[in-house]
Amino acid sequence: MFDRDVWQEIFNTLKTNKLRTFLTGFSVGWAIFILVMLLASVNGMQNGFVGQFNDDATNSVFVRTGTTSKAYGGFEAGRRIQLKNDDLEYIKQTFPKDIEYISARYYANATARYKSETGSYSVQATHPGHQAIEKTLVVAGRYINEADIVNKAKVAVIGRKVAEDLFKTEDPLGKFVEFNGLPFRVIGIFTDDGDDNAERRIYAPVSTYQRIYGNTNEIASIALTYNPNYDLTEALEFSERLEILMKRRHKIAPEDQAGLSVWNYAEAFNDISSFTAVLKGIGIGVGFLILIAGIVGIGNIMVFTIKERTKEIGVRKALGARPSQIVNLVLLESVFITAISGFVGLLFAWMILAAIGPMIETPAFSNPSVNLSTVITATIILVIAGVLAGLLPAMKAANVKPIVALSDK
Amino acid sequence: MIEIKDLHKSYKMGSNSLHVLKGINFKVEEGELVAIMGSSGSGKSTLLNILGMLDGADSGEYTLDGVPIKNLSETKAAQYRNKFLGFIFQSFNLINYKSAAENVALPLYYQKVPRKERQEKAMQYLERVGLKPWAGHLPSELSGGQKQRVAIARAMAAEPKVLLADEPTGALDSKTSYEVMDLIQKINDEGNTILVVTHEEDIAHMCKRIVHLKDGLIVEDKKVEQVRAEQYV
Repeated sequence: MFDRDVWQEIFNTLKTNKLRTFLTGFSVGWAIFILVMLLASVNGMQNGFVGQFNDDATNSVFVRTGTTSKAYGGFEAGRRIQLKNDDLEYIKQTFPKDIEYISARYYANATARYKSETGSYSVQATHPGHQAIEKTLVVAGRYINEADIVNKAKVAVIGRKVAEDLFKTEDPLGKFVEFNGLPFRVIGIFTDDGDDNAERRIYAPVSTYQRIYGNTNEIASIALTYNPNYDLTEALEFSERLEILMKRRHKIAPEDQAGLSVWNYAEAFNDISSFTAVLKGIGIGVGFLILIAGIVGIGNIMVFTIKERTKEIGVRKALGARPSQIVNLVLLESVFITAISGFVGLLFAWMILAAIGPMIETPAFSNPSVNLSTVITATIILVIAGVLAGLLPAMKAANVKPIVALSDK
Repeated sequence: MIEIKDLHKSYKMGSNSLHVLKGINFKVEEGELVAIMGSSGSGKSTLLNILGMLDGADSGEYTLDGVPIKNLSETKAAQYRNKFLGFIFQSFNLINYKSAAENVALPLYYQKVPRKERQEKAMQYLERVGLKPWAGHLPSELSGGQKQRVAIARAMAAEPKVLLADEPTGALDSKTSYEVMDLIQKINDEGNTILVVTHEEDIAHMCKRIVHLKDGLIVEDKKVEQVRAEQYV
């Protein structure tokens, strides 16, 4: 099958029909080019989405409350659910193995003043674990620690923008800034890759704010990260258990999402994965449709070639060529054209992606690229495409009757 | 070598069928040089196609070298053609992008003869037809007579039992025709069985036996005194 004579014949046909071969090959190359580009684009979108979410720990879970929408357990609908410190303790004790970091959140607004500069910022009062959950990058000083919580210390970690606004060129660390008239010592400055708005935030110990606001033990929401070794199913299973227990504890109907909801990042990731999977499917579908056009083109040229070579095939058969040998010849030629032109398309797409891919870095689209498996798949597709394109013409060739081919009329 | 009994063949032409061979009985011994003559439509080409296993008969028996030729699959027919028969065509039918030597080697390729041996044999047969110096030339670089000689070398390369020549001189002028016939006679002298289809009297008389076909039947079958082509060359 792979001897020199077969190749000699293939090269000869290609050589005598350069333009025709090129035009047909182009259609397949183009199809593969588009297919790879589409897949790379989907990849780019996926990268973009993942990049967006990377701002927070991807294994984070948030417990939020609201007002119940259903009557349950003897309570009427419309009851306000309030999380308290002991809810946090309860979760900690119930799921010691599942939880990596846990923190309460308490939201407040503060009018901050330093010397003559003032500004209005949102304050998130948290536990030390919150740093890991939100992936807060402390660039100077430190984050809130356990001692701050115990001492109810009036300390604050301020965003880079806050520092710029209030302190201008001064170093804020150790300075006192007034929040609603109360002095807080700046212990750290953080940045956030996510967006500028996040850098207009202030973190303070949750216990401090609970005391300032009426010595309460109320908290607004609970943020936590689960064991990072969990896979998606384990993660979802954990948040489900958490939700059931929290709803039972607060006597909320199991299906009542308004009363209490547990939001798992894994779910969002799951959604994104299925979204990009659909996009990928569409990309592959469109690419295949274009490829079919290419295959039909190759099939067309092969039919033509065989019509031209009917006499030659007849002579070969008279000289003792078996039908299978004729089929081999045609199929090999078809696979050869398809594979070569497809590889050229693949190479072009790959070069373009390698050159400009890394430069593309937008929130929704970054570094479009293809991986090895895509390339291997494309190659297999090409060979199959070549066989498909050559099959019909090859069978036609094998059925050439020597007498018809040899009649001189 | 060849034995045919009561061979019938008809072609469907639309609604009516054309009865081309109406019962041919005919025997060829080893080493014979037979001319099959007849006007166009007499059935001589059809007979040759059936003898060449390019077409099947409707009824009758055909035995070639003791092997009954009947209901052959495409693959089997290809094998038998390769093993038993060598074809010489009116229009030479050389493959135009292959050199003379490669054309001669082609039947050997289908016999799965190794490449090197193929080339040696091809050169040997080209030498026999006097075209060794042209081995590397493409058919387009050869004259008509040379092309037919390459075709004869190709037909002989597989060492077939029978050579079938369909109007081998039909496309050649008389001088070249005689050269080709001279070659065919010499091959026959070596003991090869050859069937020549022709409608030219002088060519037919260069064979040893003439079979006349008319309207699908053999009307005359006679041995003739062979005219040597050598004297005209």
